[in-house]
Amino acid sequence: MRWCWFGLAEDVSEDAFASAAARDLQGEPAGYLAAWDPDAGHPKGTARISGAVIDPSGPEMAVSLVLPPSGVQVLFDDPAVVAATQAVYERPGVSFVTTLTTDPVHFGGAVTGTTAPWPGWWSDDPFERIFPARRLLVEPGLFNAVAPPAGPVHQRYAGLPWPAEGFE
Amino acid sequence: MREDLKAGATFPDVKLLDHSGNVRSLSELAGGDPVVVHFYRGWFCPKERRFFAGLLELQAEAEVAYSRIVSISVEPPEVQAAYRAGLGARWTFLSDEHRVYVEELELLEAADTVHRPFLPTVFTLYPDLRICRAYGGNWYWGRPTLEELRADMRTISKEIRSDWEPSGK
Repeated sequence: MRWCWFGLAEDVSEDAFASAAARDLQGEPAGYLAAWDPDAGHPKGTARISGAVIDPSGPEMAVSLVLPPSGVQVLFDDPAVVAATQAVYERPGVSFVTTLTTDPVHFGGAVTGTTAPWPGWWSDDPFERIFPARRLLVEPGLFNAVAPPAGPVHQRYAGLPWPAEGFE
Repeated sequence: MREDLKAGATFPDVKLLDHSGNVRSLSELAGGDPVVVHFYRGWFCPKERRFFAGLLELQAEAEVAYSRIVSISVEPPEVQAAYRAGLGARWTFLSDEHRVYVEELELLEAADTVHRPFLPTVFTLYPDLRICRAYGGNWYWGRPTLEELRADMRTISKEIRSDWEPSGK
């Protein structure tokens, strides 16, 4: 699966194929992160995410979730987004990274995760320079550790969330 | 260099640790795009430092041109990671620290008995790892110029991109 729908919901979604409860760094419940099949229509409030990072049997992850504030849009081709993706190639240690897309042209946010606690990037998520980030601890059952993007491409493939690869 | 590593042949899908210690295959790193595969001696070689300066220039184009670069040496991943960071490279480095492929591909530089590195060699590959061109760089002028690499990337892209000449309608 090259991409699927992804979002943060207050409650468990029965029609999601993978979901996990999230807590903030104080241990307070922060809702549920979930993924929906790409053929299941577009669930409200979700964005496309790279399918490679979703795994219903995946481990617990510490996640930096960057989402655009309501009503704010930034083009994927904005130099700030390009610089953030370039910065990802320069820093080791994350277990996965994916941007989010809501349409073919706009940056819909990013999710970066690690199985190791409190890594160096935690205090400087490159995508946090664009939009605010939330730090969450996500229970097992949603995210998958994948190898970092090969590089050096920072362009999207036909509107797919970077670094999902290949043209259809 | 092994005799079968010529234009039109399929390059072996080498599987090695990357600069971060992840196992990566060449086909995975190609990801459906043209690839420049670059075997280099090591950080210590001034000829490599000069050639990397060129690849860094190419990087600025490859990152917007859906093209990949892979650099392979016998250095351990942590040495490659440090070198890569110092260069400012944003492509993947692969480590043949145990010298599996340096022998299998017959790319050992026997004259350097200290490092026993790869012979400097560059291949341009289609996404399915077919060889477009091979360049032996034992002598520096045998290496591809940036113009030659651009020409190869154009040749491959023109063949694999169905919308190379879109109708515009």
